[in-house]
Amino acid sequence: MNKDSGVIERSLREPAAFGELFHRYAAPLHRYVARRAGDSLADDVTSETFLIAFERRTAFDLGRDDARPWLFGIATNLIHRHRIAEARTLKSLERAAAEPEYDNSPSVDEFVDAQREVKRMARRLRRMPSADRDCLLLFAWGDFTYEQIAQSLDIPIGTVRSRMNRARRILRTEPLSEEVHHGQTHFASDSA
Amino acid sequence: MDKLTLLRTLRNDVAEPSSEKLAPSLDKLERAFQSTNSQKRSPGSANLADPSLQSRTLTARRRFAFAGFSAAGAFTLVGVLVASNLLGLGGWRGGADPAAAAVLERAATAALTFEDVPLSTGQYLRVSSQNVHITDGQENNGPIITYRINDSSQLYIPADRSDDWVWVREPSQVVDVLTPGGEAFAERHHPSNTEGRMSQLLRAPAGAFYGNSADSTWGSFDDMPRDPYLLLNYIYLRTLGAGPSPDGEALVFIADTLRQGTAPPDLRAALLRAATMIPGVTITDDQATLNGSTGTAIGRVESKQSLRVEIIIDPSSGRLIGEREVAVVAIPESDVVAGDILSWSSVETAIVNVAPAGGTPDGVSCELDLRPDAFGCVTTGNN
Repeated sequence: MNKDSGVIERSLREPAAFGELFHRYAAPLHRYVARRAGDSLADDVTSETFLIAFERRTAFDLGRDDARPWLFGIATNLIHRHRIAEARTLKSLERAAAEPEYDNSPSVDEFVDAQREVKRMARRLRRMPSADRDCLLLFAWGDFTYEQIAQSLDIPIGTVRSRMNRARRILRTEPLSEEVHHGQTHFASDSA
Repeated sequence: MDKLTLLRTLRNDVAEPSSEKLAPSLDKLERAFQSTNSQKRSPGSANLADPSLQSRTLTARRRFAFAGFSAAGAFTLVGVLVASNLLGLGGWRGGADPAAAAVLERAATAALTFEDVPLSTGQYLRVSSQNVHITDGQENNGPIITYRINDSSQLYIPADRSDDWVWVREPSQVVDVLTPGGEAFAERHHPSNTEGRMSQLLRAPAGAFYGNSADSTWGSFDDMPRDPYLLLNYIYLRTLGAGPSPDGEALVFIADTLRQGTAPPDLRAALLRAATMIPGVTITDDQATLNGSTGTAIGRVESKQSLRVEIIIDPSSGRLIGEREVAVVAIPESDVVAGDILSWSSVETAIVNVAPAGGTPDGVSCELDLRPDAFGCVTTGNN
């Protein structure tokens, strides 16, 4: 399979070649946006992301093989314009978690506890600064490495680390080990 | 279950969309390919520019989610619209309510009779705009702090539009803090100390900033019909698929075009008359004050976004005073209540004899010296 950079380079001569990137990444990008801000907004943001990317493809750094961080970065910027939709989506998650369906199973207590924890987490996610939420969700829902997040948001990797630390504190969770979850140890030792 | 694992389960039931669901997006992209091939860039595609380009002019048209029409229905309509202007969206689905239509018609008449002062060689039309909007933030586990910031810019358009345009985009400033006790937070994130604060200075022939063509960025006035009915269908065609609804997006397009301050009188009048044919448009405030100017607010409620989008015009001159977005419901977990103005923007135009020196098409960081004999960058920083 051609690298993304090769696809983009070719699209400079043959615009239709850019469609390959759509086929590769539109579905996961749509899903990511839908998780953050709802399905109906995801349609629009996905469409707009690829139109913007196509218009700006000459600015893509062809030294980067992977276009996914670039595309998700554009989508993240677009999500910021729909703050109410994102807040509503996360709020609905809290509400859903607050209304467990009781049954007679012996594990009902565990289930209710889990639902409460989901509700707490959804609330913390909604209340954290959007810059921190961007990093956290690209990591947790987009499966991005810190380096990819830095590329995506066009920020230094040290900033990613500090935002992740802050997000971690907000979630009151243990360190989000990149080694464990992405298997890429070299990012953890990066002190940039 | 650890917190990260739990986080990953949240909304994990959201599935990837089917090919059918993505088809409208792919269609739009393929139309962009064709547009590129034919070297004809429509004003509707103008705002596919750099996402960092935060001018309201360049973001407003694509700011909202698409709703109100099914995608399939929308694309069926493309065929109808292309087939004949006589069967466009505009003109047969009702229009603005009578009071709003009357105000718009009066403004259109005024616009036609308003004589623009011609620019002499070497002069510029300076379009000063302010865009105030709500933002928020939080530190550690503290409260969410909601405050308003102002993004200002000045666009210098030369007498010969093919010459260099100059655009000064100033750094954001805090306007007010809505959350009691949040002033220190806002100050930390947007220091009021002006020393060392950098503007962005851009310069490009014909206003082709950020690598975009001039027409795609600012619209081609020559291509826009002067017949209000044809113009409205032209607008629907170019905004189809964007915005919360075709009608809401058409109103935004009209505001975008009027805001530039350079549309000729006959086009301004046609734009205002086109607005009278947009369903759902009403007078929302007949004494709206924006940045010291008073006019009539005309707008539509976009229920999907829980917003009312308004343009404010001076009916006696047809001049656009500005725009604003008003919350129609409270935003959860914030200090924003129904009726709060989420954002507003205002524009003022003036004829000036000089524009700042320097700048590049993609912008340079710049500390401006405003003295007339040294109008330009004092220092430049990294971009």
